[in-house]
Amino acid sequence: MRVLVCVKQVPEVTNVQVNPETGTLNRDGVASILNPFCEYAMDLALDLKATNEDVEIVVLTMGPPQARMALMRCLEMGADRAILVTDRKFAGADTWATALTIAKMVEKLDGVDLVLVGKHAIDGDTAQVGPMLAEIMNIPQITYAVGLELDGRRIRVRRENEGGYETVQMRLPGLVSVNKGAATRKVCSFQEILEARGKEILTMTGDDLDLDDSELGLQGSLTQVVKVFPPTVKEPGRVLDGGNAPMAAKEVAALLHEKHFV
Amino acid sequence: MHEITCQKVPEAAFDSVRRVEGLEEIIANYAPYLADESRLPHQGADFLFFPNNEAELAAIMREMGKRGLTVTTAGARTGLVGGSVPAGGAVVAMDRFDKTLGIRFDEESGEWRVLAEAAVTLRDLNDWTNKKSFPGLTSRADEATLAQFEKFKEDPGSYFYPPDPTEMSASLGGTVATNASGAASYKYKATRNWIRRLRVMLASGEVLDIPRGKYFATDDLTFTVIDTAGNRTQLKLPTYIMPETKNTAGLFAAPGMDMIDLFIGSEGLFGVITEIEVALAQQHESVSVVQFLPSDEAALDFVIALREEAAIRPEFIEFYDVNALKLLRDRQVETPSFIDMPPIPEDAGAAIFYDIAFTGADPKPDYAWLREMTERCGASLDNSWAGYERRDLARFRHFRHALPETVNGIIGERKKTYPGLHKLGTDLAVPDGCLKDIWHFYRSKLDGAGLEYVVFGHIANNHVHINLLPRDMDDLAKGLAMYVEFAKKAIEMHGTVSAEHGIGKMKKKFLPVMFTPQHLEEMKAVKLALDPAAMFNPGDILDMETNREGAAQ
Repeated sequence: MRVLVCVKQVPEVTNVQVNPETGTLNRDGVASILNPFCEYAMDLALDLKATNEDVEIVVLTMGPPQARMALMRCLEMGADRAILVTDRKFAGADTWATALTIAKMVEKLDGVDLVLVGKHAIDGDTAQVGPMLAEIMNIPQITYAVGLELDGRRIRVRRENEGGYETVQMRLPGLVSVNKGAATRKVCSFQEILEARGKEILTMTGDDLDLDDSELGLQGSLTQVVKVFPPTVKEPGRVLDGGNAPMAAKEVAALLHEKHFV
Repeated sequence: MHEITCQKVPEAAFDSVRRVEGLEEIIANYAPYLADESRLPHQGADFLFFPNNEAELAAIMREMGKRGLTVTTAGARTGLVGGSVPAGGAVVAMDRFDKTLGIRFDEESGEWRVLAEAAVTLRDLNDWTNKKSFPGLTSRADEATLAQFEKFKEDPGSYFYPPDPTEMSASLGGTVATNASGAASYKYKATRNWIRRLRVMLASGEVLDIPRGKYFATDDLTFTVIDTAGNRTQLKLPTYIMPETKNTAGLFAAPGMDMIDLFIGSEGLFGVITEIEVALAQQHESVSVVQFLPSDEAALDFVIALREEAAIRPEFIEFYDVNALKLLRDRQVETPSFIDMPPIPEDAGAAIFYDIAFTGADPKPDYAWLREMTERCGASLDNSWAGYERRDLARFRHFRHALPETVNGIIGERKKTYPGLHKLGTDLAVPDGCLKDIWHFYRSKLDGAGLEYVVFGHIANNHVHINLLPRDMDDLAKGLAMYVEFAKKAIEMHGTVSAEHGIGKMKKKFLPVMFTPQHLEEMKAVKLALDPAAMFNPGDILDMETNREGAAQ
């Protein structure tokens, strides 16, 4: 059984700032990491593999050459092999062009039983690529999964909904998008880190796909990001010096009068 | 040059300095300024000051001098030996000295240097350096500094400030005063190695501006300090030989030494550090590994083998004994969110936490030697935790901090029943060849003593912390006696009684184990030459005999 985990490399967004003038991300000193939700998808793939010996985990990413480090993290975690789809032609791809490219890539694999994706990537936050991919591939999908269980050619999925959890099942092949899972991020052993360097990472380009250049990257995108901007920052509150309490109290009283609160 | 002249600073009006007066008010609203991580009880304070700058600090010095009050300096209060716990007089909180003042490239040494005020924390300094963004610097800096800052931003390298005493909320000033070291000192040495200039305010309110490499002791161990009125004071440095280990016990003294080194690690005996210029180091890629081993003996063999591997120089090698692992495992069960790590293996008899150079993008890293070495010590790389991404390193760092925090929490709970109780954490180090001997000595005393203990720490420097966790006052007395035995043994092996925590108020009793009465008198003579009325930090390191109010006897 082949499980394909589609992953993305993202900036560690807790450290990213937006330049308010240019609307661009300031990536100085910001590390690139495997998208955490993709990592949760890997966790579920590994759970399946732990209980089903015949599971092969293939990871795939579309991105610049340095995105191979996101694949490397998956290989360290226990993926069997990886595919890097990289080409300058993919630059500027929106969610549609990305999903289409990945779908065409999946066609090149010799059969995929289950596609796992992270619920969303923490840089774009769209949560669109996974569902679009299922639609393009014409397979059923279940979103917000937190647990998986194989039952022959069916998969039972524990998923999060607004009220709590529910368990649903679908026939394979299908796609599952994964929500936040285990509280503790997997720690690899040094042996796993070293062994990952011996696993296969296949590199593919736009020329390997049955797509016209007009369907790739910016050209193939149906949407365009016009502007990126941070939320409006509220004016900071006023802090009174509490070192002299009577003075501070007088200032507070004066302020309340001034604003007609009292 | 063997002489240094003091500088005057503009003086502010004493009344304009923000202060809290009276012990009652300080206890009610500012109690944290009466304590540090040692949890040592304070002996009161009449004033708590928050100076904004050197001018206000000078006003405090002169007023306290007139009133005959002592001054205890409070940095981030992360010290473990009670150095900033007041013993009467005034507390000067340095919180507002929190700005970066400049950055420059030193052509001669080829290193980037940051000039910062004393209260800047290690965490902030490293965060700002990593992001190449120093808050407020562009509005404060002159054109030359701005040009250097631009050059720094254009530099493709990533930099950091290497001293890492684990507690990254420590202030620069505090870490200079204590010559802080920690795990990374195995590769990067202690704070002293990274300090390029200091400004220190003396009791007179005048300032010594001391760059490294300008003022040196004479061969017969003297310096001369000249005040702004032209009065000359000769300092005669102590005559002892420094130990062959990393060390914070006693004043630094050596023939021909740089004057800046007298102030680094002096625990604030001579004045208040206001500004510090530090050197930065370039980041390198590395992997952090927690290697689980079957026993402490296997762990010692692993450490010795790792140190002997000529091809590598780990940044740190840390040790956890079986009790430390059990304590962490119990804590994991109790509060899983406290330690963001998988369960610690039940069969682990010890662990070694180390890091070595590793490039994540290297397609064929060759670590066969490490695999063989690990297996020779009865362990396997399969039974390890490893990570090399920045977020992993931060996670591992948190793991490293979890144990001392857990120990402090336990002691805090027990203090509710026995207020006089405190942790007994050794800070002894011995030379390289003595690692196994001192460990066997420790174990021979600890086994069967009936005391609760955990052992962890910087085994690369033969510097493990034995943390005795007394359950009552009897345990405390037994532990203290054992501590003295350990200290005597370490000195017998030419080690030190304090490798990194400093002496402060809590470890004074161990100084006579390491220094003769004559050496202690020599240290006092230096103290009185620079601080004639023994104003600064009463009760720290030396018992000075003064009539000042608040001066501990």
